[in-house]
Amino acid sequence: MASTESAARAAETGIPKGTGAPDCVPDRCLDPALAAELWRGCDAARWGLTRDEFEQILVDAGTAQNFGLAEAPDANPATPKQQAAFFRNLCVADLALARACARGNERAWEHFIAVYRQPLTRAAIAITRSETLGRDLAEQLYAELYGLNVRDGQRRCPLFSYRGRGSLMGWLRTTLAQRHVDHYRRTRREEPIEEFDAPAPDPPPQTPARELSLLEQAIAQAVSGREAAERYLLAAYYLDGQTLLEIARVLGVHEATVSRRLHRAEKEIRKQILKNLQRNGMSRRQAEEAMGEDARDIEVNLKKLLQNSQSEAFQEQAAS
Amino acid sequence: MTATSHHEFHPDAESLSAFSEQALQERERAAVLAHLAVCRRCRQVVALAREAADAGDATAAAPPRKTIAPNAWWKQWRLVWVPTAVVAAFAAASISVYIERADRHGPRIRIAEQNPTPSATPPPAPTPTEQAKIEPPATASPATPPSHTAKHAHSTAAEPPPAPAPPVVAAQMPSESEAPEPGAPAPRVTHRQEAMREAPPMSQAEEQQASPQETMGVHGSAYSQPAQGAWEAKQKQSEEHRQAEVDRSRMRSFKAKAATTGEHGTDQAAPPSQSQSVTVTAAPQPEMQPTPLAAPAPMLGFKHMSDVSGPSNPIQLPSGLASVSIASRGHFLLAIDKAGALFLSEDRGVTWERITTQWTGRAVEVHRQVAANGAMQTAPAAQDGTTGNSSADEGTASPPPVSFELSNDKNQTWVSTDGRIWMPE
Repeated sequence: MASTESAARAAETGIPKGTGAPDCVPDRCLDPALAAELWRGCDAARWGLTRDEFEQILVDAGTAQNFGLAEAPDANPATPKQQAAFFRNLCVADLALARACARGNERAWEHFIAVYRQPLTRAAIAITRSETLGRDLAEQLYAELYGLNVRDGQRRCPLFSYRGRGSLMGWLRTTLAQRHVDHYRRTRREEPIEEFDAPAPDPPPQTPARELSLLEQAIAQAVSGREAAERYLLAAYYLDGQTLLEIARVLGVHEATVSRRLHRAEKEIRKQILKNLQRNGMSRRQAEEAMGEDARDIEVNLKKLLQNSQSEAFQEQAAS
Repeated sequence: MTATSHHEFHPDAESLSAFSEQALQERERAAVLAHLAVCRRCRQVVALAREAADAGDATAAAPPRKTIAPNAWWKQWRLVWVPTAVVAAFAAASISVYIERADRHGPRIRIAEQNPTPSATPPPAPTPTEQAKIEPPATASPATPPSHTAKHAHSTAAEPPPAPAPPVVAAQMPSESEAPEPGAPAPRVTHRQEAMREAPPMSQAEEQQASPQETMGVHGSAYSQPAQGAWEAKQKQSEEHRQAEVDRSRMRSFKAKAATTGEHGTDQAAPPSQSQSVTVTAAPQPEMQPTPLAAPAPMLGFKHMSDVSGPSNPIQLPSGLASVSIASRGHFLLAIDKAGALFLSEDRGVTWERITTQWTGRAVEVHRQVAANGAMQTAPAAQDGTTGNSSADEGTASPPPVSFELSNDKNQTWVSTDGRIWMPE
């Protein structure tokens, strides 16, 4: 109770009451009361971590992610309240275990093996949809986690990259999925993934080239102007072929909500395309004729556009 | 967007994992979502991680599920047993109801076939109350045999304690008015109609007198049908039980009555056990034999009313007609019915034998021959030689033999000593 009050007081004043750290920067220090509270709830001492080491791990995790703020730390530094909220949302126990394992603590490894090895294997099998490939993938990651890879004379462990934002098991699954996708993409270079989901071939052009270029431009403007969530829905549903249920699970919403949002996005994009065509000099009748009477045409165009947007996004991100 | 050493320009595994677990803040979530909208690789990673999480959750929750295999045959067919059991139960119930109805209606159909009544359709069997209404009401005379109906069972207390009712099944059976039940109801009603049809028109008084015997005859004819199955046998057994109980109570009643009055001889006090047993066992006999129990009081008084003939005679003869004249000598009875036929009974009216006509015209009266001194001849007990008087009579000079006289409608007379051979006087 006292620790909670202390943490709240520190959050209000913004001045941590830590003892023994008079020169700490406010946004880089952890309230001792909150640190003690987190310390008691994570069994870090069991894995051979000292309290200072534990606090340092938390501070490093917070600063590396700017305490959950998307902006750069210099632009908008996190307030102590935001920092406290960030620390409280961390999976501190998993973080302590991961760091202890990364440091080679035997007890931590025993616990990790006992708790996570079987689920890790099952997750790899589920991801690869093959028991052989799944076991291979799990063993490979397990070897990496154990720190068999050495670079520049130093033992490198992927667990160092875990900062407790999500659960350790989720992180392990995502890591497995990343490695599987990367491996797939590497081994299928001659047959890129994009080609599997290539949009249906365009029908023979019946509209003049100028109208087609105007239409593509209008579609690109309409799609790029949509929100990220709508674009993700369209891409996951039409490009990846995911079901509404799978998308709903990823987004944490109901399946019906995904369906409703999807239909609304299609409608608004169609309206926006019509507007863009009219803005580019077409009459409404011409714009409707350009889009075609069949609504499925707009879907085909959306697929193509989203694929193009994906490549453009990569390029933009790579340039940045 | 955090860059990792392995995945440049892609969210790291932690961000994607946190996004999938809804653990990111709004701004981080929007950034990841914006990347997912354009990055197929990260969408695949998130989708695969989510799929693995679902599989892991299913596996984690599997232990209790593994005990019940989802594709176990009994689980797949488990729900099928419910409607199957319901249908089977309904079928069993329907079959049982059908069998029960068949048992009820089967004997009735057989009876209808075996006992076709001249009447068009027998009316529905009356309830005991209706039966009581059909039968003539008991007369107010104490000499009238006690009524056998339920109505007269509740006679006033001023009347002498009524003799136990003869085994009138209709009054003791439960109500069967809804439908003619097998065996009993149809003949029970129609026999009376047959008797009414065969008999010449009777006066109301005659009908009232004849009704008790007819009631007996009704039930007798019902049982005179051929065997009608197990159900009828059960009914007979139950009837026997009830009749035996009624007879026992009657015996007690008679004994008490004889003890209180003291006016009757040994014959009166004797329980009519023979007639009771005949009443019960006579059921399968094709020809109805009237039982003295049908009218207990008159039967016990035959000796006193030996020459009594007329409408008050309650004896019913095998012809089904009422008797018009009766003469008795101990167990020896002679009776003339309304058609002029003479009947002889040597067992107090339990069984009757028709005497061939040896006279001209229509017999209308029979009586014991009157002695020369004008007194009636002695009672049958004296004839049996069991008393001193009889031996004294035998020792004296040949008393005139006991004989009967029969008169026809032309007022001619025939005499007989044994009731079988008649000689014109």
